[in-house]
Amino acid sequence: MRKGAISFLFVAILILGAFFLKSCFKEPIYHSQSYVFGTLVDISIYGETDERASLVANHVLQDFQDLHNRLHAWKPVAGNKPSGPQLSELGQLNAAFQKGNQPITISPDLAKMLIDATALSVKSNGLFNPAIGNLIGTWGFQRDEFNPVIVDDNKIKSLVKSNPCMTDIVISNNTAYSNNPMVKLDLGGYAKGYALDIAADYLRKQHVKNALINIGGNIMAIGQHHDQPWRVGIQHPRLPTAIATLDLPDGWAIGTSGDYQRYFMLNGQRYCHIIDPRSGYPAQHTQSVTVLVPPQAHSQTQAGVLSDVVSKPIFIEAPENRTKAALAFGIDNFMVIDDKSNIFVSKKMAQKLHWIDSGVKFTTLP
Amino acid sequence: MLNLLHYPRLLIQELRVGDWLVVLAGLLCVFYLFQTLWSNEHATKVQIRLGDKIYATYSLNQQREVHVHGKLGDAVISIAQGKARFAKSPCHTQYCVHQGWLTRAGQAAICLPNQISLELLGETKPYDSLNY
Repeated sequence: MRKGAISFLFVAILILGAFFLKSCFKEPIYHSQSYVFGTLVDISIYGETDERASLVANHVLQDFQDLHNRLHAWKPVAGNKPSGPQLSELGQLNAAFQKGNQPITISPDLAKMLIDATALSVKSNGLFNPAIGNLIGTWGFQRDEFNPVIVDDNKIKSLVKSNPCMTDIVISNNTAYSNNPMVKLDLGGYAKGYALDIAADYLRKQHVKNALINIGGNIMAIGQHHDQPWRVGIQHPRLPTAIATLDLPDGWAIGTSGDYQRYFMLNGQRYCHIIDPRSGYPAQHTQSVTVLVPPQAHSQTQAGVLSDVVSKPIFIEAPENRTKAALAFGIDNFMVIDDKSNIFVSKKMAQKLHWIDSGVKFTTLP
Repeated sequence: MLNLLHYPRLLIQELRVGDWLVVLAGLLCVFYLFQTLWSNEHATKVQIRLGDKIYATYSLNQQREVHVHGKLGDAVISIAQGKARFAKSPCHTQYCVHQGWLTRAGQAAICLPNQISLELLGETKPYDSLNY
């Protein structure tokens, strides 16, 4: 009897010990979620103490909030001036464009962004066009909530005809003006990617070796998690679940443009926020486009921006030109889901995807 | 009976059809439980976040409604035997409600206007973050 009690005690101590050890080796992962940028920002940091991780994460969030306030395309932001809410820096620039071609001073990083966005717009044959703020506003997508909008076809036609282009903007010595008063900037397809690059740059400078940053669905990886790469899920455009997962290596970014986050329904038709600048109407032949972007050379447009921008021209482009639209940016990892839920995957991307449902049928693009 | 256990051959001979059915049913039961409970995707908890804070984590193994006061107003989250959903939300678009039931670990529903999110948690996460 006594012997039994001793061995029982021994086993109990072993089990308690195991639990104690396990709690000591709790995964050093920090996770924060916030609503900034009009969307959800999710930061995971691995391998730092909670204190340090929360410190750098809060710094990143503060940077995002500042960027958001400066680049907001349509809402006056509350300033600390007694005159009340003021236009954002981008709002002031848009107001100046509208008035005529008098140059106004802009901050160096905004000038850099606009020069970069112009080059990307040219590369996309104008399908990525941040100058069509007037069209986006007319469709009701420059609001917090999207109501069905019945547009005036003539108004759309005249807006398309006014042909606002990034190349209408002239930038020199941190001043800018536009040759076309119909240019109205909306950096909604650029800013989140830019913010990812800023955050990655900051975290690396702070010697954070492992982090995963998610801004409204656009994700950038730094280092890895444990001894494994960070793993991301890709949202199914019509179901509340992931369609596939893939490993996101150090320095890579992934971005998706979908018709399921910002849209409204009218008479059974879906109108999404991705507008074809050529017609002035929302693209309706695609449900989602995902691009996977490797790290870029230092002097080039960085991976975060590319992950935000490149999905748009592929989304808008006719089906037969999708691969060409991706390759114009050197992107060979992408997936397209069209309006009939057909899935097309580039050859390289197909090797990286792990489908959630094993029976998924897809077409591999050459 | 004790004897039977010492002579496996005898054991097999003595078993009737009904006995075999019981054995089969037992095996199927084990297989089913293994599939549902031990698969990675099985969700056990729902985590509700409000703004940048974790509001609460509930077991999915119950039937209840949770009222959460978000930025816009009261949202109702339903939990029902292994799944969870936004049942009511004061937001305009109702995207969160239209998402329907979440059933697998890693699935999430986010209400941006009301700043409330649901995420199902399981033993292991199928991914670290969701691209959308």
